[in-house]
Amino acid sequence: MAETDTLAAADTIGSDAFVQQTMRGLAIVWTDFEARLDRVPIIDKLNRGALRLDDYKALLINLRQQVVDGGCWIARAASNIDVAHFGLRSLFMRHSTTEHRDFRMLEENYAAVGGELATIRDGEKNIGSEALSAWMFHRASQPNPFDLLGAMFIIEGLGALKAADWAEAIRQQLELSADQVSFLAYHGANDDDHLAEFQEWVAEAADHPNARRIVKTARVTARLYLLQLEELDHV
Amino acid sequence: MPDAYLTAAGAFMPGPPVANDGIASRIGAIDDRSETFGRLALRQNRITTRHYALEDDGTVLRSNAEMAALAVADAVGKSERTLADIDLLGAATTQGDLLVPGHASAVQAALGIGPVELASVQSVCAGSLIAAKAATLQVMADGKQAAAVAGSEFSSRWFRPAFYARAPLQDPQFRTSLEFLRWTLSDGAGAIVIEPRPNERRQSFRIEWIKLVSLAHMFDPCMAAGAPPERRTDRAGGWSHDPRNALADGALVLWQDMHLLKRIIRAWVGEYLKLIDQGAVDPAQVDWLLCHYSAESLREEIVSILKTTGGMIDAEKWFTNLHTKGNTGAAALFIMLDEFIARGVARPGDRVLCIVPESGRAMIGFMMLTAM
Repeated sequence: MAETDTLAAADTIGSDAFVQQTMRGLAIVWTDFEARLDRVPIIDKLNRGALRLDDYKALLINLRQQVVDGGCWIARAASNIDVAHFGLRSLFMRHSTTEHRDFRMLEENYAAVGGELATIRDGEKNIGSEALSAWMFHRASQPNPFDLLGAMFIIEGLGALKAADWAEAIRQQLELSADQVSFLAYHGANDDDHLAEFQEWVAEAADHPNARRIVKTARVTARLYLLQLEELDHV
Repeated sequence: MPDAYLTAAGAFMPGPPVANDGIASRIGAIDDRSETFGRLALRQNRITTRHYALEDDGTVLRSNAEMAALAVADAVGKSERTLADIDLLGAATTQGDLLVPGHASAVQAALGIGPVELASVQSVCAGSLIAAKAATLQVMADGKQAAAVAGSEFSSRWFRPAFYARAPLQDPQFRTSLEFLRWTLSDGAGAIVIEPRPNERRQSFRIEWIKLVSLAHMFDPCMAAGAPPERRTDRAGGWSHDPRNALADGALVLWQDMHLLKRIIRAWVGEYLKLIDQGAVDPAQVDWLLCHYSAESLREEIVSILKTTGGMIDAEKWFTNLHTKGNTGAAALFIMLDEFIARGVARPGDRVLCIVPESGRAMIGFMMLTAM
């Protein structure tokens, strides 16, 4: 709310200042999100070394139902980007390709810890995932939905800053092998340099009015992601 | 309402500077692996000398309160006031010499001044700014004419091997964090004087604002003593419920949760960036940054975030004496200010931003000064 109200357009404060202001807004949203993650019951259990195998299985099932849409909302967003922003269209398309197979890794991890494939494949989105997914598709359906860079920032941030630690903690607490936590471990290993890259993407979108919504979209996405983790198994 | 001015700073460092090869003989070794962990910690913190109020044979040179009193005397001696003028004494420390009563009472007694109003603050590093804020507001709103604020630490007491008798030293991460603290924290005291008018013949700094924010509602204790990490939030987990066994059980060990620290560091950066968004801090207008940090390696962690968000303050504006005075917790900012003022590098109108993060349970304090 505050950031969107105060976020100036790039043409009034200059592109560099706009990018810094946006990155600052994203960093603030991220830090609030990261602190609130620790208060979500399943993450709290993990932080306290009290995770059970059933908790991990529930996490995989719940994540899978939303991740299965991951490539699709990005692809829809790409289809709504005009040719004047060809570079960003390419970015969204590339991104969509890498995301759209991710749910399979979740399924493999689930099977590797003794779950039935049919169970995870027939699962239903929890009420938080419903909200998160509906939100992403709603934004992706707008023309030039560059504010979704904010959503990517949150989701990529989870990969870059949280996934590897979570994978390691889960592996240790449940005495699992690397292939049983590969979804989280893979995202931890792959999303290294995300700050510098994001800076470039935000700069590319800076001339468009939707760029002013990046921080707000990040904030909504962060809240809905928390909701997804808070509402595990509540379908 | 008058403004508040920081009119002097002082310090007291016990004993001679101790180089890296002298640490082991002061704090002792928990076992034969201590020095290996110690070398790792020294590579991370890059501290080259520090001071201890304990000698090699265990002789106590000064109590915590005496160090604070000597720092106040040093600061007042550099002001245009005398000790008899002090009408508010603030004192911040992580752990006083006694459990009861408050630390400021002991500092007052050691100074031999009074009657005087006190403000005792028990927190960790940011206690220095909590006490400074109390003094600043009293000068502005309660007519105080000369407030003195001390920050002091006697950390080495807690680092002697007996405290670690039954701590779970096999856990490599826990052990690394214990030794990091043992080889990073040291003793000393700093103090400042706050008045409603600037000095006539010496440099003063107008206190523009002091802001503190605690995120304890979002984070568990991160650096703590009194309960082991796994019992850190238990209702009856603290040492005082079983004092007879507390020492032997390792409940009095000072530990740090390094995983949690990483998350808290990002939260601190978020609080700093909020100040920029609110317009309270403009990094381009800051001439000097006095930032307390426990180790050079932690400073490096935040630089990339600061660079992309326009929050970076150029390296040549950073002033620190961490490397020669050690990490002295609640004393550190005032010890830094003492050396900063003595160097005389601030020109009239310079903006000086002081930042004191406290990992204890995720607090951070900021103070903005303008050089007169």
